[in-house]
Amino acid sequence: MDLNFTAEELAFRQEIRGWVAENLPQDISHKVLNALRLSRDDMQRWAKILGKKGWLGYGWPKQFGGPGWNAVQKHLFEEECALAGAPRIVPFGPVMVAPVIMHFGNAEQHKRFLPGIASGEVWWSQGYSEPGSGSDLASLKTRAERVGDKYIVNGQKTWTTLGQYGEWIFCLVRTSTEGKPQTGISFLLIDMKSPGITVRPIITLDGEHEVNEVFFDNVEVPVENLIGEENKGWTYAKHLLAHERTNIADVNRAKRELERLKRIATAEGVYEDGRFRDQIALLEVDIVALEMLVLRVLSAEKSGKASLDIAGLLKIRGSEIQQRYTELMMLAAGPFSMPYVHEAMEAGWQGDFAGAAVCAPLAGTYFNYRKTTIYGGSNEVQRNIVAQTVLGS
Amino acid sequence: MDFDFTDDQVSLRDAVARWVDKGFSFERRHQLARQGGHSRAVYAELAELGLTGLAVPEAHGGMAFGPVEAMVVMEELGRGLVNAPYAAAALMTPALLQAAPAEVQATWLPKIASAEALVVPAWQERGARYRLDQVSAIATQGGTGWTLVGQKSVVPAADEADAFIVPARVGDASGKVGLFLVEKAAAGAMVTGYPTQDGGRAGELKLANAAATLVSADGLAALEYAADVGIAAVCAEGVGLMDKLVALTVEYMNTRKQFGVPIASFQALRHRIADVKMQLELGRSMSYFASLKLGEPPAARRRALAQAKVQLGNSMRFVGQHCIQLHGGIGVTDEYIGSHYFKRLTMLEVTLGDTLHHLGEVSARMQDTAGVFA
Repeated sequence: MDLNFTAEELAFRQEIRGWVAENLPQDISHKVLNALRLSRDDMQRWAKILGKKGWLGYGWPKQFGGPGWNAVQKHLFEEECALAGAPRIVPFGPVMVAPVIMHFGNAEQHKRFLPGIASGEVWWSQGYSEPGSGSDLASLKTRAERVGDKYIVNGQKTWTTLGQYGEWIFCLVRTSTEGKPQTGISFLLIDMKSPGITVRPIITLDGEHEVNEVFFDNVEVPVENLIGEENKGWTYAKHLLAHERTNIADVNRAKRELERLKRIATAEGVYEDGRFRDQIALLEVDIVALEMLVLRVLSAEKSGKASLDIAGLLKIRGSEIQQRYTELMMLAAGPFSMPYVHEAMEAGWQGDFAGAAVCAPLAGTYFNYRKTTIYGGSNEVQRNIVAQTVLGS
Repeated sequence: MDFDFTDDQVSLRDAVARWVDKGFSFERRHQLARQGGHSRAVYAELAELGLTGLAVPEAHGGMAFGPVEAMVVMEELGRGLVNAPYAAAALMTPALLQAAPAEVQATWLPKIASAEALVVPAWQERGARYRLDQVSAIATQGGTGWTLVGQKSVVPAADEADAFIVPARVGDASGKVGLFLVEKAAAGAMVTGYPTQDGGRAGELKLANAAATLVSADGLAALEYAADVGIAAVCAEGVGLMDKLVALTVEYMNTRKQFGVPIASFQALRHRIADVKMQLELGRSMSYFASLKLGEPPAARRRALAQAKVQLGNSMRFVGQHCIQLHGGIGVTDEYIGSHYFKRLTMLEVTLGDTLHHLGEVSARMQDTAGVFA
């Protein structure tokens, strides 16, 4: 047992740190570190900088042009990016669909799709949830009917994050109604410029446009856009969900946000108030414990020895902690979290009402983060999975 | 960064587990508890396994193992619900004696390693709560040597011990916190023993000009270190206890039927066991953290151990309470082993600082940055 990273790992961290310091644009990190609104351009600018270095697909193996890092190196990369105030990599392309294309796609699809994902040129969206299919995803109804060398897609996807920017969307579609619901699902890549696709914004409770509905009306999709075999999409999707979950603890960002919470609490005069301060102290313990949990999972992955039954806990705990720091930030601002000024989340905004500018976005972020225990498999679904593992029944 | 155990550590774990399986049944433990929690015979068996010399330097007949080995042993003693003062006598006392003069070490450490002598720290006083620097006992030096006046409370296995390591103010109430060794047989030392809630034994130590040997005239730092060693041990024992209690609960949920089906099929209970698993694993993670941080410089070490005790305090209470609830009525009976795990977990929370005390410590020691490596 050893808590410390190896000398090679520390050197690796230094290399990443130096590179990020040199290459992360300051106007972008300023926005991230102050929870201001990021534009499409901000997100894609950073993606392309990473892409040029070959690090946008930082989890990719070498054979697909990735750096071939192990679990610990990936973690260190994520940590250095998070602490420096880099935007989270928009995961739909490089983190979610790319591994599915690599594992289950054919050589032609590798050649066609992976370079655009690796470079950050092509913006991908996710088409999973439907109005009637949330936690019960396998009940999805969006139909894809094979007609000659095309699928004709009809239906609706929802909660499509940043779908307003999407150029391509990977979708789970129903290709059969025979047998169990899971066995009639296929994995389809769809060009969002196809005729018949309509993207409509959903404004969330914080007044922001982050998620969308996507409608499919007789959309023609060439059969060569099918990943793997027809009706095997559920298997591929489960592979993808596993990838979605390991990233979701997001402990590195939690450490950064804890620092910000302390700054806000200091500025608002509650950091020296014992009752408030103890809540921050408890959150600090929670974050250290989560980081240890993450390190245990990484260590197991690296040594390949023990397959730990704790990975399923990461999403639950990580999301609870995300909600808690946004909650404490909002409470630290007190009444100054109350004014709703949409422009206050733009960089450079100078407010003239009472309260520090830093307070203006806090309630909105708190409201927004209620999503974290709902998306990616709700925490109640996660508890079902953990219970299944623990009880073996 | 690596959380695997070495082959030697696995062997050590297996050796303790085998002894528990063969030699420390629930019936035996129950009987010991009913007889007042006496444990000296059990302690002798731990000595036969070589465990009592685990933290003693090799030069004094010990094995000089490190914090991870101590953690492994404590986890297994927890899993086996072993009511012996192992953490106090075999881990904390050698830590305190690191501050002792060579001749005191040479006199006592070999006997501690062999368990010929049971020497326990007596650090608690009424009114001090969990603060180690709140010491009322006074040590004065006379013509015949040091004598101590004061009272120490809830001393582990007090009436079975042969000697105590006692913090006392040197000279008068404004003096530094010194450490002294007091033999139970010393004139002026009086011990009253009693059983504890968790099937163990403790007692009051009254010192009326009791003859004492100086361990350290400036011993607060050593006391704090020994307390941290004790906290890491409590954390590891808690993990072993929780691990076993969760296993018992899972087994019960899969066999107990109501409404014609195993109660494990009810989602309300499934979510509860998932939350229990969460607290167990957060606790295990922070127990590792506690042991692996024992070698840090004092400020970082104290902060880390306080963080760990907060997590373990919360985890032990949560796991204990919810596992009892998941058992229903059987969980609140004396005959069922699960209730005894719960009681031990409960008493560990109030050992060496409860959750609120350590939350205060974390709060006072917060810095701008935080995390495992901060």
